[in-house]
Amino acid sequence: MPIMRHQIGINALLGLALGLSALASLSARAADIAAGKEKAELCVGCHGEAGISQTENIPSLAGEPDQFVQWQLVFFRAGSRRNEQMQPIVEQINNDDIRNLGAYFASLTPPRASAPDDNPDLSKKGAQAAVGRRCASCHTDSFAGTKAVARLAGQREEYLIKALHDYKSGVRSGGGMAAMAEVAYPLSEEEITALAHYLAHL
Amino acid sequence: MKSAFNRSVFALAAIIVVAGAGQASAQQKALHSYQSGTKEFWTHPPDDWFLGDETEAQKGLAPPSGPPTGASEAELAALIKKIKLPPGFKIEVYAPGVLAARQMAWGDKGTLFVGSFGLGNVYAVTDNGGKKEVKTILKGLNMPTGLAFRDGALYVIAVEKLIKYENAEANLDKLGDGKVVYDDMPSYAAHGWKYLAADKDGWFYVPFGPPFNIGIPPTSVSQIRRVDPKTGNAELVALGVRNSVGGDVDPRSGKYWFTENARDWMSDDMPSDKLNMISKPGEHFGYPYCHQGDTPDPKFAMGHKCSEFTPPVLNLGAHVAPLGMKFYTGSQFPADYKNNILIAEHGSWNRHKYQGGRIMRVIVGPDGKNAKQEVFASGWIEGDQGYIGRPDDIILDKDGSILVADDWAGAIYRISYKK
Repeated sequence: MPIMRHQIGINALLGLALGLSALASLSARAADIAAGKEKAELCVGCHGEAGISQTENIPSLAGEPDQFVQWQLVFFRAGSRRNEQMQPIVEQINNDDIRNLGAYFASLTPPRASAPDDNPDLSKKGAQAAVGRRCASCHTDSFAGTKAVARLAGQREEYLIKALHDYKSGVRSGGGMAAMAEVAYPLSEEEITALAHYLAHL
Repeated sequence: MKSAFNRSVFALAAIIVVAGAGQASAQQKALHSYQSGTKEFWTHPPDDWFLGDETEAQKGLAPPSGPPTGASEAELAALIKKIKLPPGFKIEVYAPGVLAARQMAWGDKGTLFVGSFGLGNVYAVTDNGGKKEVKTILKGLNMPTGLAFRDGALYVIAVEKLIKYENAEANLDKLGDGKVVYDDMPSYAAHGWKYLAADKDGWFYVPFGPPFNIGIPPTSVSQIRRVDPKTGNAELVALGVRNSVGGDVDPRSGKYWFTENARDWMSDDMPSDKLNMISKPGEHFGYPYCHQGDTPDPKFAMGHKCSEFTPPVLNLGAHVAPLGMKFYTGSQFPADYKNNILIAEHGSWNRHKYQGGRIMRVIVGPDGKNAKQEVFASGWIEGDQGYIGRPDDIILDKDGSILVADDWAGAIYRISYKK
């Protein structure tokens, strides 16, 4: 049956198998990492050098899966994901830029938590919430994400809270994000806080 | 427009869903119950709607995600060389750059309107001296997969809204917000994307999928309605339907035929997806009690027998994902194609080795008896789980060729025949 583009039930092993076949088909498009890096000058001001954000409420993009980055750019361009800062940016990029940017950000070293976990109890709660909500079935056991599904490990804590609030409130909705809208809706504030703390410190 | 279906009437139904759905462990088989008697249920269906009782071996099967920017023109040129067709048929790219392309409809003046999936776009493809121009004419709609064109107006169905855009072809650059002509539909995305097929009276057949893989459906879904866009009146014409995203009115009998996607997570080879025909209003097609006409659901049969329900015209195969379909009413193809059904199969995700991802030809009389099928166009699947494209809708062109929408490659193809 057809369902949507979000990834469901992926585990790391199969993700790997799928990833390899996806890689084979993607190699034909020959995305250009160097060109992506050049284009990413547009992104540095907010998303930081080498894709590591130093700005509150702005996500790091380093190590995000290629397809995830591309999909978000396509969603911004189509207007199904809305953001004032992103709007003028996506108006300046074409399909090749999107492919190159995806390849570039995916090639960067993922972020690491800038400080040691100051609240291991909260992380423990977050880990439990992640199991209960089946987060890993899409985001993979390491929370590195895969294909169209975002990397969460090491993401900025306050951004993870913002993103979960955006899903929960329906600010981020629509076909490409349907699974998250439904998963986030029943989350309590305590769970959101704990999940964000846990994931940010992975 | 709440006349025909009143949500509050249904709100009392308690929905029970079994579940491995919603449980981390596949071993856990406790009954899981959902209350549909709350507003929350209608706006936020169960968060585990897409999952099921997956076994350890099924873990990891997931809807694959296509290339976000579709296939480039060079990739499409390479792609169509891989498509296999019967002798005398030819495939070419009609229009590239139609991202997430779904249902197609012709305007009276030759504009091809195309819906899309999660992108929320509706496109107009026009001819400019032989070159096809693709224009995004509507943005930000909620999964506008289905559309139709009647009396100068474009109709778009975006989950819970049927929207009419008057005099559309003259206003491609400024369609405005349109007018909602029918909205008595749940707003959730889960199997909420739809398809439109008009009958001779100008009423639309509209499918309503259940907000999960398998369960006892909330009362106003798992059905097909017939909706009058002029008045907003609606009637119920079929029950017991899972996820249908394609159908057409038989030019011979006026009856509505539709494709139906069967449940997931049972096995790679069970149950089969279906081609159905509504012989008389109110028929029940079996979901969730019985699948493929002969297989009681392991959990949800609950004492029902398959003989209680209308069997399919044809079992199309497991996880082939039949979507858009059309009766071939043109005269370009060989004469024995007349009134055959062409079905766009989107292809598997819930199967270890994908199948579908092709166009099937079904040969069947107006009575629906002794149907048989054969592969018409194939080659969109590579290896066990690789797509280069996924056909999802078919429409006839004036000259008798057909156009095929592909939401993976983001393109429209044309298939023609020459002796």
